[in-house]
Amino acid sequence: MENNFKSTGEYIASEELMSSVNIAMALEKPLLIKGEPGTGKTMLAKAVADALNKKLLVWNIKSTTKAQEGLYTYDTIQRLYDSQFGGENVDDISHYIKLGKLGEAFDSDEQVVLLIDEIDKADLEFPNDLLWELDQMEFYIYETKKTVKAKKRPIVIITSNAEKELPDAFLRRCIFHYIDFPNQELMEEIVKTHVPDIEEKMLKNAMDTFYEIRSYSQLRKKPATSELIDWLNAMMIGGIDPDIIRKELPFVGVLIKKDEDLEVIRRRVD
Amino acid sequence: MFSKFFYTLKAKGLDVSLSEWITLNRAVSMGLEGTSLTGFYYVARAILVKNETDFDKFDLAFEECFKGIKSDNANITDRMLEWLDKSEMMELLHEEERFWLNQQEDLHIDKEDVETKFKDRLKDQDSEHNGGNYWIGTMGKTSFGNMGGNIGGIRVGGTTGYQSAFAVVGARKYKDFRDDKMLDNRQFQLAFRKLRQFSSKLDIPKTELDINKTIDSTCNNGGYLKIEMERPRKNAVKLLLLMDSGGTMIPFTKLLNELFQAIHKSNHYKDVKCYYFHNCIYAKMYKTPECENGDWIDTEWMFRNIDSDYKVIIVGDAAMAPEEFYSETGNYRGPNGGLTGEQWLLLLKQHYKKVVWLNPKMAPGEAPWREVETAVKKIFPMYKLTVEGLNEAMVKLMTR
Repeated sequence: MENNFKSTGEYIASEELMSSVNIAMALEKPLLIKGEPGTGKTMLAKAVADALNKKLLVWNIKSTTKAQEGLYTYDTIQRLYDSQFGGENVDDISHYIKLGKLGEAFDSDEQVVLLIDEIDKADLEFPNDLLWELDQMEFYIYETKKTVKAKKRPIVIITSNAEKELPDAFLRRCIFHYIDFPNQELMEEIVKTHVPDIEEKMLKNAMDTFYEIRSYSQLRKKPATSELIDWLNAMMIGGIDPDIIRKELPFVGVLIKKDEDLEVIRRRVD
Repeated sequence: MFSKFFYTLKAKGLDVSLSEWITLNRAVSMGLEGTSLTGFYYVARAILVKNETDFDKFDLAFEECFKGIKSDNANITDRMLEWLDKSEMMELLHEEERFWLNQQEDLHIDKEDVETKFKDRLKDQDSEHNGGNYWIGTMGKTSFGNMGGNIGGIRVGGTTGYQSAFAVVGARKYKDFRDDKMLDNRQFQLAFRKLRQFSSKLDIPKTELDINKTIDSTCNNGGYLKIEMERPRKNAVKLLLLMDSGGTMIPFTKLLNELFQAIHKSNHYKDVKCYYFHNCIYAKMYKTPECENGDWIDTEWMFRNIDSDYKVIIVGDAAMAPEEFYSETGNYRGPNGGLTGEQWLLLLKQHYKKVVWLNPKMAPGEAPWREVETAVKKIFPMYKLTVEGLNEAMVKLMTR
């Protein structure tokens, strides 16, 4: 295979995940990534782009984002302004068409990696509005009567936090991958790439405590990879003695963000 | 190609579409599965399953179809196809294997038996143990422990390896994601988000200035101001929550508490009203879950003051004696108001357009031994209080 994704120096992917990425690329379908917050969904796209040495375009979705914005926008105000003050090229509408992220990805001469981040933040109908564009990799600009077609089919990675259900028609067109929370072994590998100069003892004690905390079922928000890494960094900077980690839980605020959860942990650890 | 798998998936309740199936076939013909069963497992799952709540169903179907293919060597695809044609043989081999394993140690694959022995052995054992065939440990042939070769044994903790598809499938580690399990708070909240009806879709006056449209129209109008108005976009759903409290509902207190919290956190409703009842709805509705006499409102007052366009969610187990439901003096805690419980429920149904009943311990299908539950089901659509049930109930509330 010409394009093949493997773990990079900064991103450790499970075999399962690598296979999903490669399947999606081979079948030229968008890859939909779901998983607990903090398991590296957004990081994945960057890693894929780095591994394949391609440019990464990120389209961050917010609750107000409309599908149209990803394709193109027509700047009517600029045009009106220009017409009143005698700007150039006012006749040429294409001058006022600005491509969105999806448009940019289609228009690029080289294949790019397009990350549509947190698609579930948008309106319920949002994914449906992109069905044709993601399937055919083209869209039509009404104002200029032109079709923008992908020169090189971009690799599309979509992340979702499952805040909303995505429509079936959209799901059927995707390759789906659920990022499991990494087990201790994989996690050690991940941590070492981010915090390379960590002491073995500190790592071991911290990891044991971390997985113990995660096993408490009463927690409302379980700490995830990104919290663990922040926590380890904090403890290293603070020069914490590894032996007291389990007992004293230094900097636990980095790991646990909710008052109720802190309460639970204090009770369990004592 | 291996259409048996397709139908098994369907039979397990996975909604696999033909286009996804064709994609899978394309993937296999491209050799994406790397001719290993594990590879095939991941390829098939990534293409066919679009929700982690369905992983468990997929695992079960996969196991049913490919059980018996143990080794994970190259060129498994051809053999896989062969297996599927001769599934009886596969069963046979499986039996044989089982027999052999049982011979190794006179154990019968009987769950209780295995469990007792497991406990006994746990008592005897006091150190870590890997690779043998008696003690509990890893990679051994005894029935206990993990990563072992015995079928039908007990798996002790640990996470699955990536070596074999069956290590993954067998562990059923996605069991907790199944959506017919009981819910937690966040899932409740997600389900309640379904209850939305934007006022922009209703027939009300356009009272808000639509800035974007105004700008567009003005520009199209050659710079002369042209105002565009639109309907305010707000959730117009009003909710009336009626909860059974006390008695047989006590085991579900935590669940109901979560449900209640979820509704209050989903602050996008136009209005939420909440009242309590004991066993069945009679002449009075209590204001607090303690259901203390006196601290109540007349049910008729509720009908008068809470409009019929409120959507009503009743939560209760509908578990009561038939006389509590059918008798005019069946309410042993408060006044009956001259009507039977059944008649009160019918009145409620008459008054409110949309009512659903959520039941935390509903019997599946017909349950003649729960006479009242069956009767209530005839009056209101009843759903079990699970992710699936709640979602169905929300859809029911939203459809016209």
